[in-house]
Amino acid sequence: MKEREVVIGHRLGLHARAAARLVELSSKFQASIVLFRSDPTNPVEADARSILSILLLSAGYGSKVGVRASGVDEDQAVESICEYLAG
Amino acid sequence: MTDERVIHGVVGSVGIAVGRAVRTFDPLFVSFNVKVRPDQVRKEVERFRHSVDKSREQLKRMQAELRRKSGPESSFLIDAHLLVLQDRLFVDRIIEKIENESINSEWAIQQVSDDLLQAYDRLDDEYLRERRGDLEDIVRRLLHNLQSKPLPPLKKLPYDAILIGKIVPPSTLFELRTQRVVGLATETGSPLSHTAIMARSLEIPAVMGVTALSEVSSGDLLIVDGERGVVICSPSEETLAEYKERDRDGRKLKKKAAASASAPSVTEDGVLISLGANINFSEEVRSAITSGCESIGLYRTEFDFFREGKQLDEESLVADYSLVLKTAKGAPVTFRTIDVGIDQKSWDGVNPNFGVRGLRFCLENTDVFKKQLRSLYRASVNGRMRILLPFVSTVDDLDSASEIIMAVRRELDLKRQPYDPRVPIGVMIETPAAAQTCDLMASRVDFFCLGTNDLIQYYLVIDRSDQSVVHLYNPFHPAILRCLHQIFSLLRPTGKSITVCGEMAADPPSAAVLLGLGFTSLSVNLGAYPRIQRMIRSVSMAQLRDLAGQILKMQKPKEVEEKVRAIVYRS
Repeated sequence: MKEREVVIGHRLGLHARAAARLVELSSKFQASIVLFRSDPTNPVEADARSILSILLLSAGYGSKVGVRASGVDEDQAVESICEYLAG
Repeated sequence: MTDERVIHGVVGSVGIAVGRAVRTFDPLFVSFNVKVRPDQVRKEVERFRHSVDKSREQLKRMQAELRRKSGPESSFLIDAHLLVLQDRLFVDRIIEKIENESINSEWAIQQVSDDLLQAYDRLDDEYLRERRGDLEDIVRRLLHNLQSKPLPPLKKLPYDAILIGKIVPPSTLFELRTQRVVGLATETGSPLSHTAIMARSLEIPAVMGVTALSEVSSGDLLIVDGERGVVICSPSEETLAEYKERDRDGRKLKKKAAASASAPSVTEDGVLISLGANINFSEEVRSAITSGCESIGLYRTEFDFFREGKQLDEESLVADYSLVLKTAKGAPVTFRTIDVGIDQKSWDGVNPNFGVRGLRFCLENTDVFKKQLRSLYRASVNGRMRILLPFVSTVDDLDSASEIIMAVRRELDLKRQPYDPRVPIGVMIETPAAAQTCDLMASRVDFFCLGTNDLIQYYLVIDRSDQSVVHLYNPFHPAILRCLHQIFSLLRPTGKSITVCGEMAADPPSAAVLLGLGFTSLSVNLGAYPRIQRMIRSVSMAQLRDLAGQILKMQKPKEVEEKVRAIVYRS
């Protein structure tokens, strides 16, 4: 399992278009990928391949999000997802 | 006798439509809980999967057609729907429910979507809350496909229809486009909603956020005025006649597309007037260009910049601006950088018209300004771009803006990003300060635009949003005429071009005054294009110059207006 934290650099935050691209990107990996908000008052997890759960994560520009992947290509998965999210 | 009522909303898509109301009902929430025999569960899951497949096929067809008809601008709307159909959070949970609880697909869909919709409602972000519409749209489609009936019986409507409803999903609008749907009015929604984007792509006039629409019933005669952002219920004969004329104008414009493209706007005595189109949304470029407009004289970029409730990222902006330029097919497009700050309704006793707006906002938020400039320059290689700075009031502002522009260009040079270094930079004259000092700005810029709406508001000290003074707003006021005359005289020796792009240019009598005062380049909204073109062709420049000389000596706005009307509407 591999985990890293990233600050959302998309001005848009994770909105429809950006979320759609994220789903596309995540689907290229075999590892299971989870995005999560570590905010203790409101912890939320989202499956990076589910557009509905990404939107419900409601991650705006500048917010901190954790990326966790586990599977054969977890390293590359975390790296490219973080790179994408950082904008 | 007339019980005409005007109800206010906001413009979702420009144009005029006259028709009878057809209320769309949301067929959601009509499912029943039916138990499925254990040996039938597998079959029920198959039935659900089948409706998912069928929905996917329909959406893909819709997307392909939308791409063909309107280009790629709006096909992303369908992407989100397609992704929901392959979303495990949605599809797998429904299947689990059918299997674990032995219930019918309809009931399972209903329960899963209810949960999700409630989760959306709890979000703080308004833009995200609006995305529930996408989910509702998909649910509706799945439910229809489960009944293996065609989507809402598309019977041919016997009259021109205005779709009304609390919300009208984008896909409903799309599917009904071949029926006689001429307009759209919704109780909720905003110009940023996907329905509005769809309406603009399909060139269907739309007014959104018309709360009082709930009192309108199917069959009522309605006018959708997508220029003023109002809906008129049960219009009087007089109003109807006026709008039918404007509607005809609009249709004529579309029909004569090819012909008027090659027919420039020339006065009776042979003076060529340049006539451009004003747009608020990138989707409007296509209709402007196919209607034969020679240029986009003003593209107010702030609406698209905040298109999805938030600022777009740089890559999306570059893609959007490039598409605008390509769609314009070589016609020049004047991009006005974002003019924000006026729509904030947080008054606190401070009038935002006198506060941080336009260039002032950009100079205080240089990261935002730089991002837009970078995106513009990166897109500039795709066509003929002009950049216009709004709400400039001092030469210092202009110098600061120029420094930022140069910094952005240096940055692109370093990264070896290609851009067009000759993009003309212009200033919007809309403050009294700019009107008085435009000649001092001339050496620093390539062109000028004149925004008469704000200029008149500031000159006459009339807040256009204040109903108690709005009747005093008058372009024929001698102060305005003198001001315009002065601007023209100050700029003439500089040789810099000037385009008038306010409402004044869109009203035939006041546009005639502009011509008489020497302004030979106008830019108007698409709806006004035919009537202004007609006015230009029916007047003689010599006569208008003479008229200008006379009205500059007059004392009262009323006198001026009567004199001008007598000449413009003489026949």
